[in-house]
Amino acid sequence: MTAQTERETEAAESAKRAEKVDFKMITFSLAGKEYGVDIMNVKEIAKAGRFTYVPNASPFVRGVYNLRGEIISVIDLRIFFHLPAERKEEEALESLIILKIDEHVFGVIVDAIDKVVGIASVSIQPPHPIFGDINVKYIKGIVENGGKLYIILDVEKIFAPERAEDAPKAGPSDARGAPSPREAEAAVNAGAGGDISASFVKETLAAFRGFYVTGINEEWFAGRYAEWKAVRKDSDLQLKEASEADEFLEGFWSPDTGALWDDDYASAVEAALPPIEAKSINVWNPGCGKGYETWALACVMRKRYPDARIKIWANDSDLLAISMAPNMVFPESIPEYYRPFTAKGRNGLVFAQAVRDSIFFEFHDVMNANTLPPLDIILCRDMLSFVAPIDQKRLLGDFYDKLKPNGIVLCGASERLGEGWSPAGTGAVKAFRRDQ
Amino acid sequence: MRVEYINPFVEAAFNVLREVLQSDVKRGELYLKSTSMPVMGVAAIVGLAGDVEGRVLFDMDKPTALKIASAMNNEELASFDDLAKATITELANMITAQAITKLHDLGFRFDLTPPAIFTGDNMEVSNADVEALIVPMETGHGKIEINVAVRERA
Repeated sequence: MTAQTERETEAAESAKRAEKVDFKMITFSLAGKEYGVDIMNVKEIAKAGRFTYVPNASPFVRGVYNLRGEIISVIDLRIFFHLPAERKEEEALESLIILKIDEHVFGVIVDAIDKVVGIASVSIQPPHPIFGDINVKYIKGIVENGGKLYIILDVEKIFAPERAEDAPKAGPSDARGAPSPREAEAAVNAGAGGDISASFVKETLAAFRGFYVTGINEEWFAGRYAEWKAVRKDSDLQLKEASEADEFLEGFWSPDTGALWDDDYASAVEAALPPIEAKSINVWNPGCGKGYETWALACVMRKRYPDARIKIWANDSDLLAISMAPNMVFPESIPEYYRPFTAKGRNGLVFAQAVRDSIFFEFHDVMNANTLPPLDIILCRDMLSFVAPIDQKRLLGDFYDKLKPNGIVLCGASERLGEGWSPAGTGAVKAFRRDQ
Repeated sequence: MRVEYINPFVEAAFNVLREVLQSDVKRGELYLKSTSMPVMGVAAIVGLAGDVEGRVLFDMDKPTALKIASAMNNEELASFDDLAKATITELANMITAQAITKLHDLGFRFDLTPPAIFTGDNMEVSNADVEALIVPMETGHGKIEINVAVRERA
């Protein structure tokens, strides 16, 4: 193929595709499949035959060839990839791609060389772990062009410099040393029920919003993912930016998350709280954020347990969020439920002293040790899902240890505590009781 | 640590340091720490008692301590002698006392114990089960880290 035709093909290709072409590859066929190699690795293409046989070389080395005075070794890619190779006539010319990797030049025999294809490198998809004939670590990716799928070979990995040096001796098995990162990644994806898109969505949720899919919210995730799939169709499943992650999480939040609970929800929580005989009731609210829910719970509890001494430890590791919590002022439009517990302040409504005295807002990281007394209630709506899985486990253990035998955990509407916990909520209020 | 306690300590440290050093003081980002931590070389400690229990630790390296002591005494101190130690102890006392006065006005009852000073190389404070608030203060003479660990009496 001359430079002229190369340019023509390329022009035709780029006309077809409006995308930015920043990756060019030489395509060829091998055992009925289409492959590509990065043009930057290709020195030239040639037709040649009558290679000089080298005794005692690996079977895939067809021999050496005199390329205008330069002696190069010639590798038969069919044999290299353990594909059936038919015996050719002695005189027949073979299609040869001359590769140049670092300083090493060698020829690779393929069935037929096709053309130069320009593509946008963003359109290259990662190889699927169950790809077939060729070990996935030799594959850079797969790309669609003109109705054909091309497997892009990672020739740099296949013919790494140390093998190219003595290519006649090294076998393909040598290249199967440590698993490449790509292979490890592929294994992880394969482990996630084979649905790469789902695991990709999980990853991006963690990256964009610190949301971790674990046993706590798996049920919700599976449902939401199915919904997402139905709306987005198969083409556009992945979350490409933070706003899409937010969109995905839309259905996750509990009613009135991070806000004062409205009249209905406050009454629902009141109804869901278990009877407690003890004189003093201890509550923990890790990850209280700005503290709205803490105030709401304090009022609900005052109403539910009017005679008990209530203590709520509310903490958050976000100093900015929590620093305003103790002295919060509310507008007159506060839900009716809370009105009996408020008093007029200078700038609006404030909570009555009795309610204020029941809450300790603390700047505290739940991953650090704390000295909480045995607890009756833990309020952690929509919080556990935003803790890294390993810390989630620790925190749940902490909950288990610190709760009194009949204590309950109020968690998010889309969250479930797993083993060791049994449901104790009613209606919209999700709660779990520690198993004995 | 209760949110209400944080500001008094930060403000007291800021005010006292600026007053005694007669120079600009910058507050670093506050953070929490719970592992054992190395001490830079000079550590003054003040205990807290009352409604709460805890301690405040003032941590700085020796050159910083010497420079601060020199500035507070208005004379160049050559070595970290008794006078220098007494000066740093007093600084710790002043800051803690002012913080506690502020807290008293807010309705929290604190008492403090007489300060003690530790000096040495490669020292480490470890009470891993206590979470401490770190208030880094950047003075013209070097960095002071104020390490406050206070908890409600159960």
